Amino acid sequence: MDCDHINKLIESYLDAELTLSDRRDFETHVTDCGDCSAQLEAMRALQNNIQNMHYHTAPCTLKQTIKNQLRDYTGEDTSRISWLKWSAMATGFVSVGALSSWLVLAYIMVSPLQTRFTDDIISAHVRSLMVDHVTDVESTDRHTVKPWFNGRVDFSPPVKDLKEQDFRLIGGRLDYINNTAATALVYQRRAHIINLFIYKYSPSQHSHKPQLLQRNGYNVIYWSRNGLNYCSISDLNKKELTEFSQLMATF
Amino acid sequence: MLTKKDRQRFERLSLPHLDAAYNLALWMLRNPAEAEDTVQIAFMRAFEAFNSFSGNNIAAWLMTIVRNTAINTLNRNKRNSNLVSFDEIAHNTEKPHINNHDLRPDEVMSLITKQTVIAELIERLPLDHREVLYLRDIEGYSYKEISEIILLPKGTVMSRLSRARAQLQKWLLQQQRKEHFRGL
Repeated sequence: MDCDHINKLIESYLDAELTLSDRRDFETHVTDCGDCSAQLEAMRALQNNIQNMHYHTAPCTLKQTIKNQLRDYTGEDTSRISWLKWSAMATGFVSVGALSSWLVLAYIMVSPLQTRFTDDIISAHVRSLMVDHVTDVESTDRHTVKPWFNGRVDFSPPVKDLKEQDFRLIGGRLDYINNTAATALVYQRRAHIINLFIYKYSPSQHSHKPQLLQRNGYNVIYWSRNGLNYCSISDLNKKELTEFSQLMATF
Repeated sequence: MLTKKDRQRFERLSLPHLDAAYNLALWMLRNPAEAEDTVQIAFMRAFEAFNSFSGNNIAAWLMTIVRNTAINTLNRNKRNSNLVSFDEIAHNTEKPHINNHDLRPDEVMSLITKQTVIAELIERLPLDHREVLYLRDIEGYSYKEISEIILLPKGTVMSRLSRARAQLQKWLLQQQRKEHFRGL
């Protein structure tokens, strides 16, 4: 591949649209070519900037209005859903309280689907600790961990170095949760391991509202950002896992 | 006739994508109140057509409906001048060649700190550019999925994305050079 050809492939490479063999050829060329490497980094910087732009949350009233309109359409009595309005109000009160607004929906009702998914997450977390297979790639350097996923999953997981905040990156691995390929980034605080699972939206896995669940002694936090779903899990206490998740969510 | 069960299923499948729908409308319309109205209308249209939905990607299906509704809103408001001027702008957009001679490494890195500027520049992009940029870079849809949402070939998606990014890079470079000369 010459430089002209490589230049045409930069965006497809960053958008994870190249075949595995093209991807390999591309990476080989870029490693040895300063010009192409500079082009790639400039485009990557632009894309990171766009991806980190503020993601708006739809106004709470919008969801309620849509729900009311849907009930009107099917001829259901909208007064029956007054508990939903109450719930929205309660959420509002919580948000002005001590809790971070990021997790205001922490205690919403959990669907059976979500419960099954959380069970899968817990199994994957426990399995990684039991069989001493926490990481496939062991590194404290995000520049080593992030490229390791290239070609292994069809998205690029954001890998953040949180050493200064006392969450040490110790590596990453591939996992498979509820028929979905997921990357697992592994962090450590004191003796506690945190698995951060990242996976794409799919028909069976929609985006997550930020929420915190507690099951089998583990804290589990879900959220979504930029087309990816995130789930952090650890035996770390609720406060510190929330701190970790917020740091990742604002990355 | 849609029943309570349909409504419940629709809510379960569609409401998790409400934020994405709202953000798409906001990127397209650049007005929160209009974005809200558009999403409301789009969700009702989607529900009316719910029985005909047979695919497995409801998110992409919803995005198509939100997009079409937003375009209707723009047409109604006669504020779609960007859409008309797209071809003219697009073909005048040369891809800036950035290499070691054009841009120093510190200049490349400083691009990373330009988020506010980026937001303003994105607002200046024509609608056709903004929507593909949103669907790819914010929502992470593949080229194929985007082509299904905007009902255009994959090649068109790729060229629009490329032009949008090239335009942003060009503007960013211009801005950066202006700042550089101001600092001399």
